[in-house]
This record gives sequence, structure tokens and C-alpha cells, in this order.
Amino acid sequence: MTTAFTLERLRGVGGATRRGTLRLPPTVVLSFLVVLTVVLWSLLPGLFTSHSPVTGETATKLAAPSPGHWFGTDYLGRDLYARVVFGTASSVTSALVAVLIGLVAGSAIGLASGFRGGWVDATLGRLVDVLLAVPGFLLAVVIVSSLGFQTINAAIATGVSAVAVFARLMRAEVLRIRGAVYVEASYLEGGSRLHVLLRHILPNAYRSVLVLAVLQFGTSILVIASLAFLGYGDPPPASDWGLLVASGKTYVTAPWLVYAPALVIVITVLSVNRISRWLRKAK
Amino acid sequence: MKPAYQRYALTRTAQAAVVVLLAYVLTFLVTSVLPGDAVTNALRDPQNGLSEQEIQRIVAFYGLDKPVLVQLGLSLGRFLTGELGFSLQSDLPVSRLIGDALPSTLTLAGSALVIAVVFAVAIAYGAHHLPGKWSGAVRSIPSFFLSVPNFVIGLVLIELFAFRLHSFTTTDPNSPAATLFAAVTLAIPVSAPLAEVLIAGLDHESRQDYAQVARSRGITEAGLFVKHLVKPSALPSVAMVALIVGELLGGSVITETIFGRDGIGTVVQKAVTGEDQPVLQAVVSLSAVVFVAVNLIADLVSPLVDPRVKLRETVDA
Repeated sequence: MTTAFTLERLRGVGGATRRGTLRLPPTVVLSFLVVLTVVLWSLLPGLFTSHSPVTGETATKLAAPSPGHWFGTDYLGRDLYARVVFGTASSVTSALVAVLIGLVAGSAIGLASGFRGGWVDATLGRLVDVLLAVPGFLLAVVIVSSLGFQTINAAIATGVSAVAVFARLMRAEVLRIRGAVYVEASYLEGGSRLHVLLRHILPNAYRSVLVLAVLQFGTSILVIASLAFLGYGDPPPASDWGLLVASGKTYVTAPWLVYAPALVIVITVLSVNRISRWLRKAK
Repeated sequence: MKPAYQRYALTRTAQAAVVVLLAYVLTFLVTSVLPGDAVTNALRDPQNGLSEQEIQRIVAFYGLDKPVLVQLGLSLGRFLTGELGFSLQSDLPVSRLIGDALPSTLTLAGSALVIAVVFAVAIAYGAHHLPGKWSGAVRSIPSFFLSVPNFVIGLVLIELFAFRLHSFTTTDPNSPAATLFAAVTLAIPVSAPLAEVLIAGLDHESRQDYAQVARSRGITEAGLFVKHLVKPSALPSVAMVALIVGELLGGSVITETIFGRDGIGTVVQKAVTGEDQPVLQAVVSLSAVVFVAVNLIADLVSPLVDPRVKLRETVDA
């Protein structure tokens, strides 16, 4: 019930009372289109390009962007646009995995902290303090070096370094909602703790957590791209966006090798952040 | 008030100490679950050129032939006495590796912090005092800054200013000009959250009665900004200092790699590729010490500076 209602409001068709605030600004529509494109790139890369991401013609190596090769070609004559499109799945999925880890583990910690209080809160609070005390990127680097240089490990590392942020938000939300009158009323009517958790706390906290999750998705794309840039992800011929920038920077005469994948990263993250800001405002 | 403050200070300090110790244990556990016998691999790597004797000495020093928990105890004991151990790659003391790299990173991070504050104040001023359309554009700058990866900023600056305009050369990464551009690279993502907090503060403060009174006395908008608004708007950003320090440290890994500077970031990178556990352990726990110390100082000082701050002994989100 509650979920359906909130989703309706998200689409902007519900509640005549709040119609004015829920119109879609053009930049948000554009952002959704960008995200849709990126999703399609990762699901059906073959639909978007006829070039192969792994084999190229050395005769046309380091060619500038042209109608035949939108983003130009690299030092092996591979089509850069095809490499970007085929690298999307790994870049985007790993960011999703990172957000899921942060979301699930962080929310569980935050829920337990805020709902149980007492020694549970004190213990988990210190754990969150510890995770916050180490700079996020440094923590991710150390974890990925410990797990081994693979994109999936980069995703896990990024997710772990995001746990604290989710835990803190969830705890704050639970504390806010737990004190509300309707929660008190629910207890008085004989509602169990589980009932309160499922019917009141989670549905009310979910909105703020969703906004953070979307924001964190953008951040994760950046962190994973940075790890791939340093060479801590899958090695070539994989074509994660960060790795493409790293391998492109050697060719000073072919700046598009850096600019094209960099632009794709920036536009994607910008769109995700715009959607997150819009969700926060529409709240 | 006084005994209350003492109690508060003590609790806070004890909590900080616990967090530092736990951070040390956590990093130890994370870096010790390295797949395979990576520590011995690093030691035996012929590239590092360690003699059998040196290897024996390091193995005995870290208790590498003993169970992990014993190693953790040994390691924690050394950490408490300030001993950081030896690098597995070069047999040099970790404290010396870090000490040699620190000045370069401090120069970089210090300049970056100054630049970030200048950017943030400029953005906040623009957001607040430019006419409508421009203000909107300026207000979206922080979000743009947060969407560009650090390495892209660095590469674009190098491409534009080193290769095209010849403002600096990448072969001399410690020259003032090269340091400036590296600092800008590091500063841009840091300035964004700072600017957001400043803008929110300005929006709030400029609606207050005292601002209206000052305006009614005929003060110019710029004068109002400098004389009355900047200080209270900047207060909330004090809480971000520790966060910014972490951001600068993490960002230095990428920035130093791109600009070819030697510093803490490069030390981390080398330690990661060489599976140099003691070096990683030391850098991560020292950065936790810095973070916790900065936070602690902020927490201890703010009730003294601002009487409205309540003494809370538990950490609230």
C-alpha cells in the first residue's frame, strides 16, 4: 500500500495537493534519458554498435573521431565507442553491487542501532566510527589490494567503504520515526515491535535512504572508475571506463582517448546526481 | 559547567582512543587475510633483493611463523609504543618512508585546502549575490564538481596547461607551478561540499533580523557579506574539517600518481602493488589517528568557543 502510494507520487500523478512541486524539470527528464541509455548500453551493447570492442584494424589506429568511429580509435585500431559501450556493463553493475552492499549492511546496522539502542547501539556506533575514521578511498584501496585486483573486488571495497554513511542515516531516521506519535499509538493498540518495524519505520525511512542510495550510486561509479584507473580492476582487454581513461592518457597526440570515456563518466554521474537532488526536493 | 566539561572531555578522549585502536585492529585483519602467503611472497620477491639474513630478521620481527592473533598482539604492542615496523619491499623503517614522503603531501594538501576554501567562498558569494539566472548557474557548480573524477580534472589540467600552454612541465613535478595545478586538482572535489554548506548558511543567515537591520542602515551587500554573514555561515563547516582531511588524504593517491609527485599517495600505491602490509597498515592507522584527533579537537574546542553547543557524550548522527 504505502510503497504503491509513494511510487505514484514519484511519477508525479498522485495527490492533487502537491502537484506543483512534482512537475519534472527538463534537466531531470534529460538525466533519466542518460541513465536509460547507460542501462541499455550495459544490457544490450550489441544493439548500439557494430564494431567489436576487442579486435581492431591497425591500419586505422589512433584515428580521430569521425562518423565511422564516433569516439575515434585506440592504438590497436579498436573503435573507442564500442569499447565504452561494452565496458558499461562492468562499470555500472559494479557500482550497483557497491551500493547494494552499502545499503544492505549499512541499513541493517543502522536499524539495529536505532531500534535496539543500549549496548547494541554503543557497539555498532564504535564500528561505524572506525569505518568513518579511515578515509573512504584509502579504505577501498586497502580492501581491494587485500582481495585481489578485480573489478568485482573493487565493487566490494567501494561498498564496504560506504556502509558507515548508510548506517548513520538509517539510525538517524529510525530515531526520528521511533519518537513519532503514530508509532506510540501503534504500540498502544498492541502492535508488536516487528509490526512497528515493517509498517512504520521501514516505509517512512525508505525515502531518505533511497535518495542516499541514488547519490551513492554516482559516487560509486567515480570510486570504481578511480580504482580501475589505478589498475586495481580487471586488466585489459576489459574496458571499464576508468581503465579506458588510464590507457588513453599515454597517447598525448590522441586526446579523445581520454576525453571521450571521461565525458561519459561525467555525464552519467552528473545525471545520477541530478536525479538524486530532484528526489530529495520532491520528498 | 566546569566538572561537566571535564567529564565530557574525558569521555570523548577515551572514545577517540578506542576508535583508533579498533581502526588499527580492523586494518590488521583486512591486510592479513591477503590470499596466499603474500607477506612471504613479498619478502622472497627477488626484485626486492633482500638477503636470507634480512628475511629471517623480518620474519622474526613480525612473528610471521606464529598464528595471526599472536601477530596482531605483537603488532598492537608495537603500535602503542609508536613503532611502525619495517617495509617488506626495502627493509627500511616504515616511519622513515612516511617521514620522507610527508612534507611533499603536506605541501600539496595544505595548498589544496587553501584553494578549496577560496573556491568555496567565491562560489557561495556568487550564488548569493549574482542576479537570478547567474545565481542558479553558480549554485549548480558544486554538484558539477562532485561529478568529475579527480583523475579527469588532473589529466585535463595537464593537457591544457602543461602540453598546450606550457605553464608547467610534468618532468619537474615539485616546481611551484606544477604543485599549484596538482593542488587545484585535489581542491576541486573538496571545495564542493564546503561551498554547499556555505551557501546553505548564507541563505539562512541573510534572512535573519540582524541582516535586515544592517541593510536598513544602508550597508552594501558586499559589506554585509564580509562584516556580518561570512562568520556565522562558515561555523557549520568547522564540523567538516575532519572529513576534508580524509578527502585530501584519499585524493592524494590519485593526484600524486597523475602528477608524478612523491608523497604519501605514491607510498600507498607502491605498497599496494608490492603487497607491503606494514606500510599499508601504518598509513591507514595514522590517517585514522589524524581524523580522530582533528574531530576530537573540534569537539573539545567548540563548547568553549560557542556556549550554545550542548555537551553530548554520545555520538549523534
